[in-house]
Amino acid sequence: MKSFAENKTLFQRNLWDRFMVGLLIVSTILVMVPLLIIIGYVIINGISALNWEFFTEELGSPARAMQGRPTGLVHTIIGTAVVDLLALIISAPVGLGAGILLSEYPDHKLNPFLRIINDTLNGMPAILKGLLAFALIVKPMGTFSGLSGGFALAFVMIPIIARSTESALMNIPWSIREAGLAIGLPRWRVVLSTVMPAAKTGLVTGFLISFARAAGEAAPLMFTSFGNNYLPNHWTGMIFGPVDTLPQRLYSLAISPYKEWHAMGWAAGIVLLVFVITLFVTARLLTRENKYN
Amino acid sequence: MKKVNLFKTLNLVFLSVVLLFFASCGGRGTTEETRAERRAERSERIDLLGAGASFPAPLVTAMADEYRQVTNNRVTINYQSIGSGGGIRQFSEQTIMFGMSEAFLSDDIMAEVESKTEGRAFNLPITLADVVITYNVPGTDKGVVFDGELIVDIYMERITSWNDPKIAALNPGKNLPSLPVTVVHRSDGSGTTNVFTSFLTRVSEEWRNKIGFGTSVNWPAGIGGNGNEGVAGAVMNTPGAIGYNSFSYALLNDMSYGFIVNSSGNIIEPSYPATTEAANIDLPEDTRILFTNTPAPDGYPIAGFAWMLVHENLDKNNAINSREEAAELVGFLVWAITEGQELSEELGYARLPEAAIERNFEMISQIKWRGENIGREVLKKNQLL
Repeated sequence: MKSFAENKTLFQRNLWDRFMVGLLIVSTILVMVPLLIIIGYVIINGISALNWEFFTEELGSPARAMQGRPTGLVHTIIGTAVVDLLALIISAPVGLGAGILLSEYPDHKLNPFLRIINDTLNGMPAILKGLLAFALIVKPMGTFSGLSGGFALAFVMIPIIARSTESALMNIPWSIREAGLAIGLPRWRVVLSTVMPAAKTGLVTGFLISFARAAGEAAPLMFTSFGNNYLPNHWTGMIFGPVDTLPQRLYSLAISPYKEWHAMGWAAGIVLLVFVITLFVTARLLTRENKYN
Repeated sequence: MKKVNLFKTLNLVFLSVVLLFFASCGGRGTTEETRAERRAERSERIDLLGAGASFPAPLVTAMADEYRQVTNNRVTINYQSIGSGGGIRQFSEQTIMFGMSEAFLSDDIMAEVESKTEGRAFNLPITLADVVITYNVPGTDKGVVFDGELIVDIYMERITSWNDPKIAALNPGKNLPSLPVTVVHRSDGSGTTNVFTSFLTRVSEEWRNKIGFGTSVNWPAGIGGNGNEGVAGAVMNTPGAIGYNSFSYALLNDMSYGFIVNSSGNIIEPSYPATTEAANIDLPEDTRILFTNTPAPDGYPIAGFAWMLVHENLDKNNAINSREEAAELVGFLVWAITEGQELSEELGYARLPEAAIERNFEMISQIKWRGENIGREVLKKNQLL
C-alpha cells in the first residue's frame, strides 16, 4: 500500500504547507494577544493618573489623594533606579565570574556543582531570596535598606547573568582563543582581552535581560527595601535606609482601599512596563547588531 | 562604531539617573552661602521608620505629613502598613523604630522584649478602633437597635428572619420585613474582627466557650468577605445581609448601621465622642486592656485602642542609631497624642480620651537613651510636665 505522502499532488502539498503556516501565525497571535491586552488594560486604567505631579511629588498619606492634594511617585521611580543599579553592581561580577568558569574552563571540577546551584537559584521562589537578604543584611544592620533590596534582587540576577554569560562566550569560535594562545598569552589574558571583547554585546544583553527581570520583582523587596512614603532626607538614605520601588509600591497601592490609589497603581504599572520594555528593546537591538558584525 | 555609541548611551542613562537623584536631594542654592546653610539645615534632618497595623495607617501617615510641615521638613516619618502581626514581629526583631498594632503585646512578647533590651515595651494608645454593625434591610435606614445577645443569636444563626420577635422587642415601632438574615464576616485576619469578637466574648458565655476571640475565629455561620471592602460589598449587594465594619468605612460608603445597647443599658448611636467615651475608664498603667462592652455609661461598646509600640530603652533598639533620632521619635509621639489628634475626625477616627493621654505621658516620661531620661526632657520642652 502506498503511503499518504506519496499520493499527494503538488497542489495538496502547497495547501498543506499554507495550512501549517496559518497555524503558526495563529499561535503567534495567541502569544501576543495576552500581552497586548495587558498593556492596553494597564494604559486605559492608569493614563488618567499620569500627570506632572505623578513624576514630581512624593506619595505621603492617602489623605492627600482623597482630598485632591498633590501626590506622586517621584521617590519610587528614583528608588527603583537606585535599588536596581545596586543589584546590577553586586550581581554583575559574580554572574560574570560564574559564566566564565562554565564556558572557558569546561573541565573544571566545580562546574557540575555550579550548574546545579545556578539552576536551583534560578528556580527558587523570589520571596526566599528576599528572606535570605533579610537574614544576611537587614537583621545585622538593624534597618531595612536599599542595599539589602539590591542584594535580594542580585540573587535574582546572578543565575540569569551566569547563564547568559556562558552562552555568549560559547558563541565565540574556539579559533579566536587558539589565536590568543598561539601568541603566548596566558589563559586568563585570552579570556579577558580576546573572548570577552568579542562577546561584549552578548554580555550586555544578558545584563539588560536580568535587569529587566529583576526590575519587575516585588516579593524580594517586601522585607528588604521595605518601602518609603518619601524621599530620604540624605542621599545615603537611598542605600542605608528604606527605599520605595515600583513593583512593591504597585502592590501596596493595589491592595489599598482607596480608588485614587488604585489609579496611581495602574500608572505605576505603565511606568514599570515602559521601563522593562525599553530594556528588552535595547537588548534586542544589541543582539541584532551582533549578527551583522 | 555603532556599538560604542550604544555603550555611551548606557553610560549617559546611568549618569542622568545619578544626576537626577542628586538634583532631587540637593537644593538649588545659587550662592555659596545659601548652599552652606542648606547643607547645615539638611544635615540636621532625620528620617524615622515605623510599620504595622493597616487600620490606623491613613491617620498615622497624615500625621506624618502634617508633622513634616510643622517641623519645616526636619523630621520625616515613614510609616508602612504591613498589618498588626507584621508590626509586632518587626518591632521585636528591632528593624523598625516604632511598631503599630490593634492588639496589645502579649505577656510572652513583653517578656521577650524585656530580656532583649533590659527594658519594657510600651504600648501607647494612639487612636481608637470602632466597629459598627452594618446591614441591608430595604426600607430601613440606620438605627436598628441591637444588644450583645441579639448579635450572638444572629451570628449563631438562631435568628434567621428580620421580623423575629427578639429583634422586634428591641425595636418597637419599627416594621422590619420578613426577610431572611444573611450573616457576613471577615475572611482575613483583622483587628476589626478582634474587637468585634472580643465584644461577643464579653457578652456571651456561650460565645466565649465555643468560639472565643481573635483576629480570625471559626465562624459558626455566614459568608466571608476579604477586608472591610469585601464585607461591605457582600452586605450592600445582599438584601437582608448583616455584617460588621469599621465605623469610618461605613460612613464613607453610606452604609446603614445599628445602635448598640451597652452594659449600662443605654442605647448608643455610634459616634466619635461615644467611642472616645468608651475608653474613658480606669486604665491599667500599661494600657494593655480590651474595653469592649465598656463600663462607661455613655461609651460605645464595640471599640478598642490601636497602639504604638516603642522600647523603654531606645538605645537598645537596633533600628535607632543616635540620640537625635530617639529624641525626635519621642517628640513625634508626644505631638501625635496631643496636637496630632486634631486630624482625627476629618479622617474618620475618634480622639483619645484624657485618661489614655495621661497614661501615655506617664509611659513616655520613662523612655530612655543610654540611661538618660529623654522622654521627660521632651515632655518638659513641650511644657507638658
